[in-house]
Amino acid sequence: MSKDFDVVSNYKSLLLNSPELSMPVAAIQSLVELIKHSNATTMSEFMLSINVASQMLKSSVRNSISLSAGCDLFLRFVTRNSQDVAEFEAWKATLIVRGQSFVEKADACRYKIAELGKAAENHKRFKVFVTESSQTHGGIRSAKVLRAAGIPTTIILDAAVGYVIDKVDMVLVGAEGVVENGGLINQIGSYQMAIVAKAANKPFYAVAESYKFVRLFPLNQYDLPTYNADTLSFQELNVDYDSKTNESGSVSSSAAPSSALSQTALHMKTSEDQASQGSNPLVDYTPPNYITLLFTDLGVLTPSGVSDELIKLYL
Amino acid sequence: MSKNNELVDDLVAKLKRRQLVGSSAVAHATLKLLIVVISKNNWSTCNQLLNVVKSVGQRLVQANPTELAVGNIVRRVLHVIREEFREAESSASTNKNQSEFHAAPLTTSSSMYNLLGETNSIPDDNVQYPSSLRSNIIQEIREIKDELENIYDSIKNQASLQIHSNEIIMTIGRSKTVEEFLKMAAVKRKFQVLVAESAPSYSGQDMAVELSKAGIETTVIPDSAVFAVMSRVNKVILGTHAVLANGGLVAISGTHMMAAAAKHHSIPVVVCTGLYKLSPLYPYDEDSFNVTFNPDSVLGFEEGDLIDKVTVTNPYYDYVSPDFVNLFITNQGGHPPSYLYRLIVENYDPNDHTFDL
Repeated sequence: MSKDFDVVSNYKSLLLNSPELSMPVAAIQSLVELIKHSNATTMSEFMLSINVASQMLKSSVRNSISLSAGCDLFLRFVTRNSQDVAEFEAWKATLIVRGQSFVEKADACRYKIAELGKAAENHKRFKVFVTESSQTHGGIRSAKVLRAAGIPTTIILDAAVGYVIDKVDMVLVGAEGVVENGGLINQIGSYQMAIVAKAANKPFYAVAESYKFVRLFPLNQYDLPTYNADTLSFQELNVDYDSKTNESGSVSSSAAPSSALSQTALHMKTSEDQASQGSNPLVDYTPPNYITLLFTDLGVLTPSGVSDELIKLYL
Repeated sequence: MSKNNELVDDLVAKLKRRQLVGSSAVAHATLKLLIVVISKNNWSTCNQLLNVVKSVGQRLVQANPTELAVGNIVRRVLHVIREEFREAESSASTNKNQSEFHAAPLTTSSSMYNLLGETNSIPDDNVQYPSSLRSNIIQEIREIKDELENIYDSIKNQASLQIHSNEIIMTIGRSKTVEEFLKMAAVKRKFQVLVAESAPSYSGQDMAVELSKAGIETTVIPDSAVFAVMSRVNKVILGTHAVLANGGLVAISGTHMMAAAAKHHSIPVVVCTGLYKLSPLYPYDEDSFNVTFNPDSVLGFEEGDLIDKVTVTNPYYDYVSPDFVNLFITNQGGHPPSYLYRLIVENYDPNDHTFDL
């Protein structure tokens, strides 16, 4: 077994070194590295080691949907290739070569999709509203990149989507995963945006690489693997008195009766505290009827076309 | 080669001057031209032939971009060519073990499976092809021609399944496909038809004349009455100029209104169309495929004073969103709008959506 090769730390260092690398591609690359370092001598040992490594990767990350998609795709790739094993070592070598080209292709997916758009490059004039994404501050980072490319960008509050929707012509989001019915799993807030877009009759487009197509079929928001008992749980009341507020409250309690209110004022736990303890979700599920089109490296797809692509792969 | 160019120039001119309009006529002419181009040209590899067809296709599409049937036929032919070459290659290389394993029919060359990096999407240029390849390709294309010529038969045979006795059907404008469909149904069923006249072309009136000649009880209604009467209609049957990849329609002006009224009253909307009208393009904005006609029929040029003060437009087509359509009746059977992606994948190749050489 390849105990000396830590697939999780390899994965993490890959992500640190190239921040542009997407999670599933990094995962696949780590798995290919694992194959290189594998001491397995039989097929079943080999498959077992890959399965174990895959599980370790999935459990090491909190939001693991795109990671799962990548790992499952790679496993499928290995299984498909394992049909014509003549000699184990030679087969392993071919697998490594093919695995590398797989990683390159997967990485290139993003640029293929970019070809579909290439709006700023083609000197099309347009403006972008980006939501702040207050938890992860992703919106602010995106705005920086877009402004650097010369695109006028405005950052809006997450809560201002409904306010802004009548000013926009279309909504464009990325994806963590695309599920079997063509629905979308993406950062929390995407579902809300899709509903608002539908109500305002604006097209809602999603951009996703094909390795993010995942074999899930969520029936509702809470059907996702990222949902656990802690999510949106109710904390005990009266537990979170801030000690400072108490002190200042007690000092002036003799002065005026109204300060009694400040003493008993509940210091509500902010959502940031809640999120850091894992009780606010990171992703949500957008059903396919809210999505107009999906832009992928396989071309432009309607949500109903996604399951067809998945079937073709898993045949 | 020069004779080819003459024929191509001829068709390009006809398309530009709008001497040749209407999906059916355009499709027939394009197919005829492509058969001549393929038989008369010298080609030995797949890419050569594809480039020949693509260059002709590019010129034709540029001549009249709103006649989507031109592009559709060119793409059908390109798809046939690729298929034939692929078959010829696989039969030439059946001694390799690999091709046996990967015999599962993959309908597109860029499916996710290709991400796993094993099949070649572009046919090899160095393979020896059987001599029958040329005639096979021409044979396949002639089959497309047959399909085009018999298109009304395959559609109208589904008529008696869709229309029941004592139903009230609504339609708009003049569509040959719908006309044949209804006439066929009238053989076995007794029903009524309301035709919206579709101003300002008033093509609905001609449709009504044709239908009543076939013994169908027909009523002509003005476009403004469509919503008012819709509650008493059982089905809306529409023809269309083109069908887009998301299931949306480019249909005669007034169709969107009829479809919206039908949706409001929960009346099923059925679209009769041949597959040559199905385009792999997406409507990123409503008017991408629209044309405007002479505004004289809307506001006559005699109204001299007014002309300066108003803008008059006469759009010929409407864009109807796929939400409004319930069923497409095609020569390959009846399908919901969500299934069209499948028909596109089966009949066209994703590399051909734009004719980049």
